[in-house]
Amino acid sequence: MIAVLALLAGVVLGVWLDPTVPAALQPYLPIAVVAALDAVFGGVRAKLDRIFDDKQFVVSFISNVLVAALIVYLGDQLGVGGQLSTGVVVVLGVRIFGNVAAIRRHLFRA
Amino acid sequence: MTGTPGEGRGRADRVYAPDFLTELFRNPLDPGYADAAARRRERAEPPSGWRHWSARSVALVVAVALGFLFAVAYRQTLEAEPGRSQARSGLVEQIRQRETDTDRLSVRADELRAEVARQRAAALGGSEAARLRNLEAGTGLGRVRGDGVVVRLADAPQKPDAVTGADVGPSRVIYSDLQGVANDLWAAGAEAIAINGQRLTATSTIRSAGQAILVDFRPVTGPYEVSAIGPGSMRDRYEDSRSALTMRKVAEDTGLSFGVREAEDLTLPAAPEPRLRYAQPSVSPSPSADRSVSPGPTGSRTSPSPSGGGR
Repeated sequence: MIAVLALLAGVVLGVWLDPTVPAALQPYLPIAVVAALDAVFGGVRAKLDRIFDDKQFVVSFISNVLVAALIVYLGDQLGVGGQLSTGVVVVLGVRIFGNVAAIRRHLFRA
Repeated sequence: MTGTPGEGRGRADRVYAPDFLTELFRNPLDPGYADAAARRRERAEPPSGWRHWSARSVALVVAVALGFLFAVAYRQTLEAEPGRSQARSGLVEQIRQRETDTDRLSVRADELRAEVARQRAAALGGSEAARLRNLEAGTGLGRVRGDGVVVRLADAPQKPDAVTGADVGPSRVIYSDLQGVANDLWAAGAEAIAINGQRLTATSTIRSAGQAILVDFRPVTGPYEVSAIGPGSMRDRYEDSRSALTMRKVAEDTGLSFGVREAEDLTLPAAPEPRLRYAQPSVSPSPSADRSVSPGPTGSRTSPSPSGGGR
């Protein structure tokens, strides 16, 4: 519950501060959001599985975002552009789907 | 996305590791959670208070960061969209602006040209001015009017292939069609020709650039109307010419439209002043020296040379 409140506080903070994203960081934003979503759904599922761990959550979020950003950067540098980030999106998307399905099973028993 | 060592510690019976994708689909949760839970169970004691609370607060900070990230990304996406369409409409606006500028300037140029002609007529006196006007009309630098013919060419209507949906056949008017029409009109006795209002002079070009046809480097679009002023026999002579016969055949075969009609009281605009790169206007002994290029000693002949136009 506190985590949800913290999330909402973050949203309010983002809306309130209205920061401008530097142009250099803009390509990484969407992929970072996908990585963050993966961390969030993973955390929620772990919570429902009663195996949630704060440290694991923090580490998974940070490493997810960093690795995703690194892959996008690498793709840009190698000239393969969007393809590598497509890989990231596919992998993270599959994980998100799986975790959401598990959450759904927990919540609705279906 | 932490590494997989320790994966399956709770399931010791599995001895082989499935490939990455299978594992991904079967168990999307970070294996680290299971590991941490197993470690906690092994220790079987609650973590010390300080450790627990510091980890908890870091997790909360991360949650705040997550919310922040989502909000920023959302706003960023919202802002980027109008930016894109703004850039597009800005470009459209600029194009419109330049077009109106061009129109205004060309109207102004026409006014100035008329003014120059009037001043010159006043300064030169009757016969010289008339001679100059005739020369200008002949070389395409003056507006002319008279009876003549209009040749109309238009692309065939889009007739996509029933299966592939692709365009079939060369059903478009190409620049060499216009060249042929213009040349044969000159040959049939035309004294002045304009394509879609672009007057042809001795140095005019009809070329293609990609899909577009450029007359004197200005794009013209279909339907193309080649207006020519000339003698009454011009139409019959043109109908017998090679380009007319070819175009009729092409029109029959491909659905292109091609028509020749006589027109009365055509007005053809003046061509822009030619940009001379190598020739210098020489000052002739007569006071009629002006900036336009002189067609030579046989100045009384007003009809342009038949070979001049199309190329």
